[in-house]
Amino acid sequence: MTSPGTVTEETVVEEPVDEDKIMGELPWIVIVWNDPVNLMSYVVYVFQKLFGYSRQKATKLMLDVHHKGKAVVSHGTREKAEADVARLHAHGLWATMERETL
Amino acid sequence: MTTTFRRTRRGEVVAHLHPEEVSLLRRLPDDLRPVIDAPSPPTAAVDPLAPDALAPEPEASAADPSLGAAHGADGPATDPIRERLFPRAYLDPTEEESEVDWQAIVHPELVRSKLEALSLLSASLDRARAKGGGVEVVLSPEEVEAWLGALNDARLALGVALDISEDPAEQVVAPDDPGAPGLAVYTWLTGLQGELIDVLLD
Repeated sequence: MTSPGTVTEETVVEEPVDEDKIMGELPWIVIVWNDPVNLMSYVVYVFQKLFGYSRQKATKLMLDVHHKGKAVVSHGTREKAEADVARLHAHGLWATMERETL
Repeated sequence: MTTTFRRTRRGEVVAHLHPEEVSLLRRLPDDLRPVIDAPSPPTAAVDPLAPDALAPEPEASAADPSLGAAHGADGPATDPIRERLFPRAYLDPTEEESEVDWQAIVHPELVRSKLEALSLLSASLDRARAKGGGVEVVLSPEEVEAWLGALNDARLALGVALDISEDPAEQVVAPDDPGAPGLAVYTWLTGLQGELIDVLLD
């Protein structure tokens, strides 16, 4: 596998492009942050309910949030990310969104 | 000891509670409503809650002292409980315009859905009937979601007010500590919500 960093560097050096255009095309990611209140089982339940994830995937994401402090739970257009963050907030999870970094 | 929740074949959940638990649950909506339904969004520069907005009612529940304590006599610049119940979507300060637009659309809907959950909780408790030394109520799937949401919002609010940490050892307080009643309610709510989720995940 190649390093993503190398690919990025070559792209920038050999073929300069409009940075705004790239930023506009980058997907948005939705991050759920760890908090001391939400129950682990509740977080699994919410991931399954909102995103239709399997128990296994929802549990893995929950454990990532718990152990690493955060996890990317969904991605897509700005509109989709805004909707997902709203749904997560409606369920009391601490979620934010940002552009995916290259 | 009977199980608090069990699922029926029709997808309903039967809640079997102690009468005292019903009393505590009945107080939740009145405690939470002023916290959720403050006049302006949490991103406002001015504290949306007057310091006395959360002042305990004369018939204060055990949760009230700690919920009120988080707001202090001077009134903080921002309300940490509302910041937790209604977080930002964008952390990036250069996206402030998007954040304001998003809040304008989403915040009223979040308030509406949280208040609706409190109403459903109250309405379901009105149907509770004495059974086997306790109180029983059958919850529709929609009411189950409302219970989960209301229990979670109550725990989030208390969690901020009591400065709850992930380490249980840090949550031990003396019986005469001002936070002790709130912590007792928080611990009970945690157990209740956990049991309800276990039934749903089963």
